Amino acid sequence: MAPGLLIYSSMVVVPAIYSVVLSFFKWNGIGKITAVGFRNYVNLFTRDTVFQIALKNNLVWIVLTLVFTTSMALGLALMLNRSFKGRTAYRAIFYFPYMLSWVVIGIIWKWIYNPNIGFLDEMLKLIGLGHLNITWLSDPNIALYCVFMAALWQSTGQPMLYFMAGLQAIPHELYEAAEVDGAGTWSSFVHITIPQLRETFVIVFATLVISAMKVYDVVYVMTEGGPANSTQTLASYMYSQTFAFSNLGIGSAIATVMMVVMMVVIIPYVLFTTKQD
Amino acid sequence: MQQVQYKFNWKRLVFYVSITLLALVWLVPIFTVFLTSIKSTTDFYSGVGLFEWPDIPQWGNFKNAWIGGRMSMYMRNGLIVCLCKVPLGIFFSSMLAFALTRLNVKRNRAIFIYVLIGMMLPLQVVLIPVNIAYSRLGLTNTYISLIYAYIGFGIPLGTLIFRGFFNGIPKELDQAALIDGCNSWRLYSTIILPLAKPAIATVFIIDFLHTWNEFMVQSVLITRDSMKTVPNGLLSFFGEFSVDYGLLNAGVLLSIVPVLVTYLLFQRYFVYGMSGAVKG
Repeated sequence: MAPGLLIYSSMVVVPAIYSVVLSFFKWNGIGKITAVGFRNYVNLFTRDTVFQIALKNNLVWIVLTLVFTTSMALGLALMLNRSFKGRTAYRAIFYFPYMLSWVVIGIIWKWIYNPNIGFLDEMLKLIGLGHLNITWLSDPNIALYCVFMAALWQSTGQPMLYFMAGLQAIPHELYEAAEVDGAGTWSSFVHITIPQLRETFVIVFATLVISAMKVYDVVYVMTEGGPANSTQTLASYMYSQTFAFSNLGIGSAIATVMMVVMMVVIIPYVLFTTKQD
Repeated sequence: MQQVQYKFNWKRLVFYVSITLLALVWLVPIFTVFLTSIKSTTDFYSGVGLFEWPDIPQWGNFKNAWIGGRMSMYMRNGLIVCLCKVPLGIFFSSMLAFALTRLNVKRNRAIFIYVLIGMMLPLQVVLIPVNIAYSRLGLTNTYISLIYAYIGFGIPLGTLIFRGFFNGIPKELDQAALIDGCNSWRLYSTIILPLAKPAIATVFIIDFLHTWNEFMVQSVLITRDSMKTVPNGLLSFFGEFSVDYGLLNAGVLLSIVPVLVTYLLFQRYFVYGMSGAVKG
């Protein structure tokens, strides 16, 4: 047990604490280090408009992922839960993008959105809408949603598996009893499936919120936070503050904000998962 | 009766058609990558449509990506890191889970929560300190730095999955083994671990994927091109002014191969092992 705990503590816990401490200082990584109290945080929340965009984007992302990724995953799981020929193959197809690196996802979708020769552009031409000529990723109003589409493709597979596992655990008798009582497909879905999946929903929501807070690579590859910072997320902004502008204190403060937001979600989740024994 | 049979089949057809359509939509991106990977740069600018088969398929793109694009080097680096990290990570996290479930460790719930929290911390939080520590120790641009960091990051999820699985192994087994004079090391290595194959397979897939695909930490710790792993290596296909999309997409396909192989090797354990983690 000891070596595992030691590596984990030295690699995760100690650095995390150090980061929190660092967030109260102003430091460029080489020169003098000065204590600034809460000033990094005050600046972020009151003056820094990019930080506010990034925070808002993360919150929008959470809502999008809870609505679309969850319903997509549940829909697919319901379909794949029936027994039919080729089920394993279909499951593998929908799960497949989850195995790819975010960098690969970014490269693929950036190519799909390519405004001259990309897939979407060619599709629009094919159905005679070529004149629309939407510049997907360079339009600040829609860029974030375009990036989200890529993420939806990547991240549906995992919650789909969770839902499949959850659906298999629902006893058949419940549905049989409902049928005897004259309940239709829809009403047994609302009154049996959804409540029985309660635990699965908790897990899916928690994991989706956590990954929504971490969104970074795919944004970095597809838009680098642009255009005009419209797709900046906390993670990408933290990265550019730290490694492009050498504001280690501000970078640490952003990371700490991310950690705090996540903790609000995580602590109830952790207590929930460890309670059952 | 006849009619019921008929209606049933009709429904089934609709089901098949809709799920197949969905699957096709799901495959569009990867199909695009494939069609792009066999084209030359001139194909795109001379008006060969994205969906058209090129006059001369550029299979050479794969070879060029492998050698000229240095995919062979990036993939070798990735494999070295994965093949060191994954078994060690499995070893450390299964030991930790074993101690938490089998040895009467005091405060084992508190320790478990302490470990679990790490799974959910954003890696950004550790990025700066780890970078500072590694550069002070002169460990940037080494395999060791990546392997050690990834083992640390992987321990929480590994422990969660192993713990869930070990909890399902009956405790009577331990008592029998103890009566036979087994110590805890023997119990762990000769009884519990061999029973935990599905959990090992699950952690293997997940850890392999995470390590192979990790980008952010790697892009901070590794600055020398010859040490880069796959995601960062792929980005070096983006030149200063232009991108050879054929070459890039060939590189993307090459980078997926090890991931697919790992998945296919272990997938029959996968769903089972995952549900162990879900049940906690």
